[in-house]
Amino acid sequence: MRGTLIYIGQRLVLIVFTVLVVSFGVFFIVHLLPGNAFVSDRVHGQALQILLHEYGLDQPIPVQYWNWLTGIVLHGSLGVSLYIRGLPITPLVLRELSVSAMLGGAALIITIGLGVTFGVLAAVRQNSWVDYLLTTIAVIGYSVPSFVIASLGILIFGQWLNNLTNGVIYYPEPWTGTYGTLAELSVPAIALGFYTSGQITRITRAAMLDVIQQDYIRTARAKGLVDRVVVLRHALRNALVPVTSILGPTVISIIVGSVVIENIFGIPGLGKEFVESIFQHDYNVTVGVFTIYAVLIGVANLGVDLIYTVIDPRIRY
Amino acid sequence: MATAITNPTEFEYAGGTVAREQVSLWRDGLRRLRRNRLALTAGIYLILLVVVGLISLVWTPYNPNRIGTCETYALPGGGHPLGCDDLGRDSLSRLMVGTQVSLAVGVATSVIVLLVGVVVGLVAGYFRGPVDAAFSLLINIFYGVPPLLVAVALYVLLGAGLVNIIIAISATVWMDMARLTRGQALSIREREFIEAARAGGARAGKIVFGHILPNALGPIIVQATFVIPVAILTAAFLSFLGFGVPPPRADWGGMANEGLPSLQGGFDPYILLWPALALSITLLAFNFFGDGLRDAFDPRQKR
Repeated sequence: MRGTLIYIGQRLVLIVFTVLVVSFGVFFIVHLLPGNAFVSDRVHGQALQILLHEYGLDQPIPVQYWNWLTGIVLHGSLGVSLYIRGLPITPLVLRELSVSAMLGGAALIITIGLGVTFGVLAAVRQNSWVDYLLTTIAVIGYSVPSFVIASLGILIFGQWLNNLTNGVIYYPEPWTGTYGTLAELSVPAIALGFYTSGQITRITRAAMLDVIQQDYIRTARAKGLVDRVVVLRHALRNALVPVTSILGPTVISIIVGSVVIENIFGIPGLGKEFVESIFQHDYNVTVGVFTIYAVLIGVANLGVDLIYTVIDPRIRY
Repeated sequence: MATAITNPTEFEYAGGTVAREQVSLWRDGLRRLRRNRLALTAGIYLILLVVVGLISLVWTPYNPNRIGTCETYALPGGGHPLGCDDLGRDSLSRLMVGTQVSLAVGVATSVIVLLVGVVVGLVAGYFRGPVDAAFSLLINIFYGVPPLLVAVALYVLLGAGLVNIIIAISATVWMDMARLTRGQALSIREREFIEAARAGGARAGKIVFGHILPNALGPIIVQATFVIPVAILTAAFLSFLGFGVPPPRADWGGMANEGLPSLQGGFDPYILLWPALALSITLLAFNFFGDGLRDAFDPRQKR
């Protein structure tokens, strides 16, 4: 237990270090970008200098970074928006984070559900048509870009089925509210989750095939356990260990994919904000979103490593 | 089975009279690759794709950038088998030209990643200690940020352009290669023949590039082929978000982006459909081909 705590501590230090490096790197990059947030306002000369001074943009970059950092640590503030001048970023970004988290969470559930189910089915029926069908779906899953799946979803649910059923089945688009209804969430979440489910199917299948050949499975069968119990209780639990190892990359894939999906469906989340902030030269928002993503990925990876110990008690830190 | 044998070497082998012909690792791998029909089909498709890309350099049915070649939103048919886009540009011509960007990004990124990843991995794995610690920390930091966002930031910093896209994508996908090579170097450097080379007075450079690298080449090449679809996908994401090659040049991600409004509006899904299909099939082919290569040249690795 003490070892685990020390391990978590070390990991947290590494996360903090990574977040610091990443945020400084991004801070540095966005301030090197040509143009500034006030270009569209056609402010020039002295007026521009006054504006830059007001937002502290005339100071050297390290000084600006230090101010930004102390702002977070002391006030929990990520600064103010430069595009919508003076708007505090923190509440805005946190609201968008909750929207993205809802979408990403739904996609994660779909990904793991689909991936593990398909993987187990394919392994149990190895070399049958079920296996071939499911593995083919898996390869298609991680080859077809998520925006293609999303477009297909819009085409099928938003148009074809809508016309066919005279509007009974209708996929509304774009999102109207902040959080969206369950129906509005469905197509984006599936489009987002389908891509990563392919990799999970693949790994689950390979791991299940590995486990099923082992002696304790034969023992379980020999003592007369029903197939379902053998597969779900005995085999799946051990097969989940390698599956857990790609949960970290899966979360990163979903975060990356959400940027594209949110822009297609007009979902007011972090990914949409990121792209807009780049186009609007809204530096503080860009840096803020980046920092949140870095924290998110660090925590997700740590969480995955801790899930290991739950699934496989042999693993200790 | 005996009736089906037509190849004399196979006959001898089956009869057990003659020892199997000695083949190099590469020829052995090639033979395994040729037996994999899926990988072979994918390979043929990719060769065709390269041919289309080369043809499009000198000839396309219409000028891909000429506005008003036919009616805007013209559906497939007549002189325009794939129809026209929102500006009346011929979709087939644009699709052909788009091949260039995807292939260029995929191959160039793969080469850059190969060079950077292999050098970093070999150096970190061979010298170990503080060098390894420094590189590993760097790799971990790069793993800590979502790759697409880094690519966007770099792209905006460097400015629009094909070369900058390649640099931006390379910066986000080199880590897997470095980590793989490092692991290989770590394990190979402990083997006897490396010790023998060192005892014989070989210098570090000779050991790393003359002894370790050739023995790690199989998995490295397999990894390099998997970089290609990842790079093409990332490039498509980038240009779909509006960070692609500058217009009017056609690329698949950008074409899909331009087609999205007419799909959402519900009047012409084809503008988006063609680049989406082209991208999907190409990525599928690269993945199948990569799988085949891995099974052929890196049989010990299981996934």
